[in-house]
Amino acid sequence: MAKSKALKGRIRSVTNTRKITRTMELVATSKLKRAQERVHATRPYAEALRGVIADLVTPELAEGFPLLRQPAPPAKGGPTRAAVILLTSNRGLAGGFNANLIKEARRRMDALEKAGYAVDLHAIGKKGVGFFKYLGRTMAGQRLDVTDHPTPDHAIEVMEPLIAAYARGELASVDLVYAAFISPLTTPPTTVRILPVEPPAARAGATRADYILRPDAAQLLDRLLPLYVRNTMYRGLVETSAAEHGARRTAMKSATDNAGEILDLLKRTYNRQRQAAITQEIAEIVGGAAALQG
Amino acid sequence: MRVTVISPEGSIFDGEAESLQAPAYDGQVGILPHHAPFMTLLGEGTLLVRVGGGERSFAVRGGFLQVVGNVVRVVAEHSKEVVHAS
Repeated sequence: MAKSKALKGRIRSVTNTRKITRTMELVATSKLKRAQERVHATRPYAEALRGVIADLVTPELAEGFPLLRQPAPPAKGGPTRAAVILLTSNRGLAGGFNANLIKEARRRMDALEKAGYAVDLHAIGKKGVGFFKYLGRTMAGQRLDVTDHPTPDHAIEVMEPLIAAYARGELASVDLVYAAFISPLTTPPTTVRILPVEPPAARAGATRADYILRPDAAQLLDRLLPLYVRNTMYRGLVETSAAEHGARRTAMKSATDNAGEILDLLKRTYNRQRQAAITQEIAEIVGGAAALQG
Repeated sequence: MRVTVISPEGSIFDGEAESLQAPAYDGQVGILPHHAPFMTLLGEGTLLVRVGGGERSFAVRGGFLQVVGNVVRVVAEHSKEVVHAS
């Protein structure tokens, strides 16, 4: 009977684990819903900003803006540092979510280093910070307080020093590694170049010439480009947070399913053993009685 | 005319209005229906939108105001509706 006692213990432990994973799945589902609404709510602002910048930017104008200009390569005296911002979650148990983001960031960092840049890594989120700390890599910046509930102010705090450094010509580029939120099940780790700004393509039949601009296009751009950069960052934060909940829900759902399967197997084994034990006992009694009679 | 007030976190006003007054970077601008296409930077201050006899106000900072074809878009990095005590 010793073995069946061990089985009983395992059944209990798997049942408890399943309860936990099931609860986490439900929590992630409800958080996902709210995070998803936040992602959708960022669209009108981003689209308005993108449309206006597309209308304003012209190739002649782009030359005058440090945020739009492609800096010279290091060999020709350009800046030798490049920044990479990595967004990860503060919590684990989300499947390969954070590992994939970290892998994507390392790929980008390797590519930059091969191109001759020294990489400034800015890690946001406990998982990314923890990983690079473990590797012993010095980080130019780290934050743990952002990803749970991102606000536009977080994006401003993160981006402002980088925009300033870029405008001073200290940085060759700024890349953002985040999880794009395409659907709760599709959240590929993605790298976007935030600086220099890739001006969005003008819409067909743009009517920029008809506007009364006050101040002129150059000054408008000068003020609106930083807004655009910060908004890209904010969207990255919001999408990563939604993607995290999506990934956790998926991971916890499969954990719950797996626990159920193991539980079935354990219960079957336990019952079979119990039956075997009973059968054996009866056989012994019958055998003993027969021996007495004989 | 249609007026929309948009912040990074979402659209906070969208509807018909009779007129609006906004804090531009160099002073107040008033927009009436059928304004010519226009674009300006926002400063910091209160945006007043007159809607059906009433008035709604929003604290706005940073961003732009755009008028195209009788649609006014106020796109502000910080914007929040101010609720009057009255």
